[in-house]
Amino acid sequence: MSESNAEKTVKPLDTFRIVQAIIAVLFVIFLSWRLYSVISAGIYGPDTWLRFTISGLIIGSVYSVIAIGYTLVYGILFMINFAHGEIMMLGAFAGYFVLEGLNGLVVDQAAGVSFLDQYQILSVILAFVVGMVMAAIVGYYLEKIAYRPLRGAPRLIPLISAIGASIFLQNAAQLIFGPKRRTYQNPSALTRSVGWRIPISGEEVILTYTGALTFVLSILLLVGLYVLVQRTRFGRAMRAVAEDKQTAALMGINVDSVISTTFVISGALGGAAGVMWGIQNGIIYHYIGFIPGLKAFTAAVLGGIGNIPGAMLGGIFLGIVESLGPAALGIDFQLKDVIAFSILVLVLIFRPSGILSEVLTEEKV
Amino acid sequence: MDAVWKDSSREGLIFGVVIIFFILIGLTVTLSDIVGNTLDLNSDSMIGNTRGLMVTYSILGLWIGIRGANTAERTWSTSLLSSTAAGLTTAVLVGVSVFVVGILDAADVEMRNYLVQLSRPSVQLLIFTKDPVSGSFLTAGIFIISSALGGLLSMATESQRNSQQWQAVFLDRFSNLSLKRVKETFHSSPRLRWVGYGLFLAISLLIPQFLSKYWNYAMGTVGIYVLMGLGLNIVVGLAGLLGLGYVAFFAIGAYTVGLLTAPAPISLQIGFWPALIASVVLAALTGILLGLPVLRMRGDYLAIVTLGFGEIIRVLIRSDLMSPYLGGPQGIRDIAGPTIFGVSFSSEKAYLYLIVIGILLAIFFTNHLQNSRVGRAWMAIREDETVAQAMGINTLYYKLLAFATGAAFAGVGGALFAARNQYTGPADHTLMVSINVLCLLIVGGMGSIPGVIVGAFVLKGFPEILRELELYRLLTFGGLLVVMMVLRPEGLWPAPRRRLELSAEDSSTPVLEDEASG
Repeated sequence: MSESNAEKTVKPLDTFRIVQAIIAVLFVIFLSWRLYSVISAGIYGPDTWLRFTISGLIIGSVYSVIAIGYTLVYGILFMINFAHGEIMMLGAFAGYFVLEGLNGLVVDQAAGVSFLDQYQILSVILAFVVGMVMAAIVGYYLEKIAYRPLRGAPRLIPLISAIGASIFLQNAAQLIFGPKRRTYQNPSALTRSVGWRIPISGEEVILTYTGALTFVLSILLLVGLYVLVQRTRFGRAMRAVAEDKQTAALMGINVDSVISTTFVISGALGGAAGVMWGIQNGIIYHYIGFIPGLKAFTAAVLGGIGNIPGAMLGGIFLGIVESLGPAALGIDFQLKDVIAFSILVLVLIFRPSGILSEVLTEEKV
Repeated sequence: MDAVWKDSSREGLIFGVVIIFFILIGLTVTLSDIVGNTLDLNSDSMIGNTRGLMVTYSILGLWIGIRGANTAERTWSTSLLSSTAAGLTTAVLVGVSVFVVGILDAADVEMRNYLVQLSRPSVQLLIFTKDPVSGSFLTAGIFIISSALGGLLSMATESQRNSQQWQAVFLDRFSNLSLKRVKETFHSSPRLRWVGYGLFLAISLLIPQFLSKYWNYAMGTVGIYVLMGLGLNIVVGLAGLLGLGYVAFFAIGAYTVGLLTAPAPISLQIGFWPALIASVVLAALTGILLGLPVLRMRGDYLAIVTLGFGEIIRVLIRSDLMSPYLGGPQGIRDIAGPTIFGVSFSSEKAYLYLIVIGILLAIFFTNHLQNSRVGRAWMAIREDETVAQAMGINTLYYKLLAFATGAAFAGVGGALFAARNQYTGPADHTLMVSINVLCLLIVGGMGSIPGVIVGAFVLKGFPEILRELELYRLLTFGGLLVVMMVLRPEGLWPAPRRRLELSAEDSSTPVLEDEASG
């Protein structure tokens, strides 16, 4: 609200804005200088840059699938579903159990071949379906128990409830599954670190099959969701509820069920992201949802919260920046999280409506 | 009749799922132990207490019966039928799960590889050290019989007409009426208020004398959280700015004292008191520096940015980049404690006194601030920023002031914490610190000074009493936050003004409405 007011009445000498602009310019100059000095020093060859870019694209596509979950809920309820990262984690666990179970299921007694290796595609599909369904169920009940009774309360209250739900789910997972790190059982065709080899300047860069799967799947999910929101009857109802709940209700839309379904869809996307995370990174434990959740939220803000293609772009952008950033700026790789959160802070300061601008009208804010 | 069955079996279903959840998180073992030890029952199993578990199940069954019966038309037979229906649902759910677990265990499947709580001894407890079939039937039987008894019991005690109403009344009576009179006189009469403060002062100054070393330490932790809660109360409770990065200022306080007084990594060793002042100033300055760019954001963005800031500080502390200056993952050792007239503070008791004095000063300070022009400006901003601006309040200035004051309190908290432990490291500065402080505010009641104290005792003191439930502390935290938000968003000891607000907005409790409609 202060943002729009300030824009309408821009005074010629708003010291705050001038200071902001000066800081921004200095920051950009500093970044370009760092970038120039690193590149001209030639520490990394083109193969390394390509490797970073590929891994950035892959991790970014996972972020963007999680980010869409945030954006969907924010678009309709204007609340940050803080527990979304935990939903993703639970989806990852569901997929893990499916793959473990199928790996233990021996179909060919003589050769000792498990179901997982016999029907590899089917197994992966099953893992995704179960992961998405479980996560969707969690999302549905989460909304029903923790958020629905708070509808219409001051904004802080659902946010705190969401934080509580996040802590609860995380610790429940720790108590049930233990704090141990578990290795995801991929089918043999999706062995991690195996993939297409791309020769570049005398070196080989590997584009892993898991990475390609993750990337393609996230694009498919985005397209599917976009069609759902823009083309179907339900999508229209959803957009109507996002626009104005009361009027939507007057038009005969069941607002409660639309919100529930939104949480189901958002949960399913979170679950898909969780299984992707497991298949791609290989290690899961109870804490994996938190940091990616936070980063995905950053991505959603980056793309303009409430905006689905924006969340996708924001996720991929964040993934690339995070993976190229430390190398490009010549700083420690431990600090990649600092880069991600700094981007969040900077975007919120300089362009709170995101790259592709929010799909919110100011009055809702 | 159909609806009766449906309602009560849904009730039973919920209970069944919750009990299975308890089994999965291992709470059954702990509960059976607690119940068994209190009632002094002997047990057949290696871990947990079989008879204790039976008693636990029976109590749960009674509760199921009472809840189930209350959804029925009130005659003896329907009441009995519906409560048994509820009990039956739970019994089937739990019984089948116990049966499956027992069979898997008998087939030598190592379930604990996947579900860590289902170790072999705990499965033996679940089937009462019998075979899976009779174990699960026994479990189901306990639920069915005790729920039927519960149904009869609820019929017998006719006064509890409607369980939902009864719950609401109980909640109200429990947290309102018992404290209500105290609170109202407390808030209305200044003389009584001073008597109350005097009493509090006397108690807080006397109590450390009678406590053991361990309890002095535990109370000291509670005290530090009270101090930090008072600070965050200004930011969140009064000015309405939801900050989730409070740990950043705590860390700054701790590390300032650490760096200035410890022999390594940089040997300044200027002593505690100057370092304390430095840490307060530095924390407040950081608050202003962080506040300047972010305070124009709207509420939930502010929450995320401050959270991100807290994470940045944590990653930086851990990182190799800063480790030559901040000690890296090892942290800083041998932090000096305070000395007064050459007498150094070494005992837990002395620290507790120091903390209590700090709290008293802080209460005095915030109380005055709250009832001054500044406090009113903060509350105006919390209610409606645009209107506050229109009334001529310089919102940015007052928000910065709130942020800086809150940060300074966290700085003191961090400094005391580090000095008392003679150590500070990255493990002390996780996000949980921010969440804990926020939780105690919410539990106690935002914007209320007694609420902060109540909240700190509930969140930091109770876990010390219930050591056995230590494992479930964070889980309870999370659950408690959700439950508080749903049932009693104003907290246990709300500020009078805030309670009015929240009850005016939704006149009856939101839960009742929702449960009635859904």
